[in-house]
Amino acid sequence: MSNIVKISALSRKVFWLCAVIFTVLLIIAPVFLLFKYSISDASSINTGGSPVPLWPYNPTFRNFLYLFSDNQFYGVVINSLLIAFFTVIVSLLIGVPASYVLGRYQIPLRKPLLVGLISVRLFPDIASVIPVAEFFITIEAHNTYWGVVLAHTLLALPYVIFIGTSAFEPIPRDLEHQAMVMGANRFQIFLKILFPLAIPGLTAAAIYTFLLSWDEFIFAYFLLGLGRISTLTLYLKQKLAYAPPQNLLATISVCLSFPVIIFSLLLQKHMSAGITSGAVK
Amino acid sequence: MTWKKTKIFKIQEIWPILPAALYLLGFLIIVLLYLLGLSFSNTARGVFPTLETYAEVFGMPEFREALLNTLVFVIIGTPLELFVGLFLALLLYKSFVLRNFIRSLVLIPLAIPALVTAIILFILFDFPGGHVNHLLLGKYDAVPQIIQAPVNWRGAKIFSLGISLLGKVWRDMPISMLIILSGLNSIDPELFDAARTMGAGLRQQLRRIILPLIIPSMSAVVLLRSIEMWKEFIFPFVLAGQHNLLGTLIESFYNNWGYADKAAVVALVLVGCIVCTSLLLILAAELNKRIVQG
Repeated sequence: MSNIVKISALSRKVFWLCAVIFTVLLIIAPVFLLFKYSISDASSINTGGSPVPLWPYNPTFRNFLYLFSDNQFYGVVINSLLIAFFTVIVSLLIGVPASYVLGRYQIPLRKPLLVGLISVRLFPDIASVIPVAEFFITIEAHNTYWGVVLAHTLLALPYVIFIGTSAFEPIPRDLEHQAMVMGANRFQIFLKILFPLAIPGLTAAAIYTFLLSWDEFIFAYFLLGLGRISTLTLYLKQKLAYAPPQNLLATISVCLSFPVIIFSLLLQKHMSAGITSGAVK
Repeated sequence: MTWKKTKIFKIQEIWPILPAALYLLGFLIIVLLYLLGLSFSNTARGVFPTLETYAEVFGMPEFREALLNTLVFVIIGTPLELFVGLFLALLLYKSFVLRNFIRSLVLIPLAIPALVTAIILFILFDFPGGHVNHLLLGKYDAVPQIIQAPVNWRGAKIFSLGISLLGKVWRDMPISMLIILSGLNSIDPELFDAARTMGAGLRQQLRRIILPLIIPSMSAVVLLRSIEMWKEFIFPFVLAGQHNLLGTLIESFYNNWGYADKAAVVALVLVGCIVCTSLLLILAAELNKRIVQG
């Protein structure tokens, strides 16, 4: 009897271990294959009948060198960086004061306000992009940097306020109280006491906003289209339309994902907390 | 007398909230006004207000097909995401040596831009070459031949929408997992000890303790994921060029054919579908709670 129990416990462990290994493989494989394609030479892609190798015949960084010698590539990377940078600035300028109020004051309906704020993000981007594009055509913001910056700010603002509110909230009220006793006004308290203490949370919000803008596709695509300004995601899409070599597609993809993967891993704790409270889509 | 009670707020002190509030409200109003305005007009003939565009869109076979495709996408995709999330959460719930490392690893799909994930699938499911076709043709030694001729994954409707769904589920795995994991973590571990003492096996613990207690997290996953499924755009856009979901239909109406009015109608239908689904799910959760309690 005890033998049977032991065996079933063992087989359960083996099953569990296999499941974990399978999961890890399922997650690693696509990432590995993307990297493999990015260092593949032409002969490892057009194999002429023999199976596509799991490791390139002649691993090479030539795809990266080719990409880095392309002036258009630099142009789109700079555009993406500029748009992301200004999105961060505008989102923080608008979002931080709001999160200060939501985090420090007991305003009525605070909870529903925060829930409503996050629910804004449940509205489909693909539905809101049409009116925004039409509106931007009317005010001549179509095909401009600041049009995309305003749109990305719209996407990022709920997250910035949400993360920012939770950065301001836990700061002890005594600090504020004492400063006030010593004669500091509200603005000084905000600038000298609350803001410095909220910086870690706000940094997370800033990085999150930057990444959101960096890999955003839908709004960039509808607002910039095939105009004179292009971003890295649009460049990738444009290449996709002309039946490109797969290794080049993979190389651009690696360049697009690299910063996102690095910073996401750094922000992991915030991300997990954000997801469980519904903050991340 | 505490600080909190004395200082509720003065209206002149909460003005910093205004820029953000105006920004979001302003865009909300613009979005709704333009959507309604466009959908009730016929831009080609310059007529407003009219129901012509609605009638025209509802009569189009493209629209009906996209609606049906999206419905199937939601009906298959939502439970799939729930099961994958449940599976992963149960797998990584108990503590083991590398748990934290593996939990971080599982977050990777979320850290890869959806466009890139779609492109990985685009490359892997290439036709006539590509890893998947070669694998199924039995070109790798370890795997027997399953198909006779390479499959045009991105061409056939069922396959192209299938791989879009695959990409979507792969990318969203961590979200469902984390929500369910947070539900699991809120269960008092003493319950398991008690159940074990009373002789309950793993299966009984799962059925009698875990599942009933994580119903709220599962409802949250179903609600959020079904909304995401309705909204899906990027995977079908890259992988299922010839077969539209509502999202990609909006894109092709607007960008390929230049019909802003028709695109707005489809966008409103999409929003309507999301609202109806959410209401239904919330109602179902509410009823379930009543039945369980009563």
